[in-house]
Amino acid sequence: MLQISELQKRYGEVLALDGVSLTVARGQAVGFLGPNGAGKTTTMRSILGLVTLDGGSITWDDRPIDAATRRRIGYMPAERGMYPKMKVRDHVVYFARLAGLERRHAGEAADSWLERVGLSDRGDSDVQDLSSGNQQRVQLALALVHDPELLVLDEPFSGLDPVAVGVLQEILLEQVCGGAALLFSSHQLDLVEDLAPDVVIIDRGRVVAEGIVDEIRARAPQRHAHLVFEHETSWHPAAELGEVTRRTEREVWVKVSADVEPAAILSDLATGDGSDRLVSFNFAPPELSEIFLSVVGRP
Amino acid sequence: MSAPSSNTSGSAVVRLVAGREIRQRLGSKAFLISTALIVVVLIAVAGVYRLTSDSGPSKEKVGLVGEAPAGFATALAQVGDRFELEIKVSAFDDRRAAELALKDGDIEAAVLAGDGQVVFETDSTGDLADSIGAAWQVASSAQAAEDAGLSGAETDAVLRPEALAVDVLEPEDDDDVGRLVGMATAVLLFISVTTFGGFVLSGVVEEKTTAVVEILLAHVRAHHLLAGKVLGIGTVALVQFAATMAAGLIALFISGTTVPTEVWVSVPAALLWFIAGFALYSTLFALAGSFVSRQDDAQAAAAPISMCFTAGYIVVFAVGGSPDSLVATILSLLPPFAPLLMPLRMATGDAAVWQIVLSAALLIGSAYGILRVAGRMYAHTVLHRGTRITWRQALKMTS
Repeated sequence: MLQISELQKRYGEVLALDGVSLTVARGQAVGFLGPNGAGKTTTMRSILGLVTLDGGSITWDDRPIDAATRRRIGYMPAERGMYPKMKVRDHVVYFARLAGLERRHAGEAADSWLERVGLSDRGDSDVQDLSSGNQQRVQLALALVHDPELLVLDEPFSGLDPVAVGVLQEILLEQVCGGAALLFSSHQLDLVEDLAPDVVIIDRGRVVAEGIVDEIRARAPQRHAHLVFEHETSWHPAAELGEVTRRTEREVWVKVSADVEPAAILSDLATGDGSDRLVSFNFAPPELSEIFLSVVGRP
Repeated sequence: MSAPSSNTSGSAVVRLVAGREIRQRLGSKAFLISTALIVVVLIAVAGVYRLTSDSGPSKEKVGLVGEAPAGFATALAQVGDRFELEIKVSAFDDRRAAELALKDGDIEAAVLAGDGQVVFETDSTGDLADSIGAAWQVASSAQAAEDAGLSGAETDAVLRPEALAVDVLEPEDDDDVGRLVGMATAVLLFISVTTFGGFVLSGVVEEKTTAVVEILLAHVRAHHLLAGKVLGIGTVALVQFAATMAAGLIALFISGTTVPTEVWVSVPAALLWFIAGFALYSTLFALAGSFVSRQDDAQAAAAPISMCFTAGYIVVFAVGGSPDSLVATILSLLPPFAPLLMPLRMATGDAAVWQIVLSAALLIGSAYGILRVAGRMYAHTVLHRGTRITWRQALKMTS
């Protein structure tokens, strides 16, 4: 299990990490969210020993992360890191060997990963001749080629087309199901929800929300009701019930407090003249993106 | 879940990193072409030199007007022989005809026997003038002696005494070859270290700007990365340097020049100074590269090192004329200057054995020390992002 506790890091005047703590178990995927400059990258780099921390501790299986442990981590930095003039296959083999695979196995692992990310036929191309999406596939192969136990991926989805996103999600799910621990950051909240039931949201170097996405949503203090009518409607909920956030001729969106029962809305509707025939009723906690905005106060 | 893993010791990592550098550089067409070009040009120059210098004695034509003293033509041929001149004498009717031939370039000099005068077109000095003067003197003296009634044997005794046997303690020509080879070695070493040290510099900056160093350092230690890079690029540089030196020696051999023993010894020894000098300077170049986050800043960060090395290069030319001087001796012992100066002093045969050993020991020791210190600093500086780090800040970061 990856255990990060109370990380502290200051760059001059800027407090980058102010007590960040989180855990990722084997077989668990954790989405790491936060606005730009929140401290996601600094946290992830510190797992790899690339940041000299002012305080806090990071352990893998209850032991501090040393050089040997680091070889069992698969890392994808936010700025993509590859040699532009190296051939794709050579590049993957090189990183496999640096991670400790011997020559023959490094070659086999490279071939199998290039096939997995769909680049078998580009092995002899220079990295710089690949499209940015394909370069990112190579980057993923670099992170996974040595079969790591812990994956630390900084913005793995940025710049990928929907097909590539699908491939990547599939590969990552497979790794997690195989027992790997996965920590990844993303700006695309819908992708996070698809992949990880667990999220950690940080802002200004502090964790501001964490847990299973559904539970975080359930904990939110408000609910959204969405009503669709057969004909034009004049219905307006009672003021004490909640506020209308948006309406069209046939649809009304109402924000209510979390303690309001869906039935209360329906019974308020029943007090009308009966001409408002309902065809659809949806009642749900806010989406993750809304919670994200409300906890960090900015996009 | 885990594949069989190989040795991940420091030396294995250094070999892996070095191996990548070697494959990348040796695979580059520019490297192969430039190396082949240097070798071919060196040998071709030597071949051309040999062909032109082997053309034998140069032919000279001298015009003669009037009656020269008996034996003048014979004496002229003999003296000319000593200057490697093959002098042919042809007779002209009068001064006018001779001067005309001189202007047309048919003859190089005209001897006017009646007037006791010799005429040249533009230049009245040189081997030909000396030959004519000497031959005239000999022939006139012989004529005078004969007129005075001396016998042929008596004349010979007066005019052709036993010549002095000549011996040279330190042949000057040999020294010139040594200096030439030493200078060439220094120039080559300077160019090679500057070029390949530059590759180390830009390679480090490339790893930093592409952030590949972030992933590398997740797997390997910074000082292994540094050592592997210097070793790999250094190996490639050494291959080119050795090929050039070998071509140089072959060229010397082809040119037919007499090469003193010191030169044959100093050239292979120069490889040692090259290796140590490259290790010293390129480690510093790598460190400088780790200070910056953009290729544009790389040269500025490396400026102090380049300046130091260039100063050494200038010194070579300043003291190269007197490699046995005290200044040259002292500088050839100091590590920053040793790689350029010691091979020169060895080639000219001016370096004592203890100086060679001391210079090598100091250079290798300091290269190793710098590699150690730089390795520690590198770990901090290569991960620094943003503005350029100064040498002072780098030292502070590490301490």
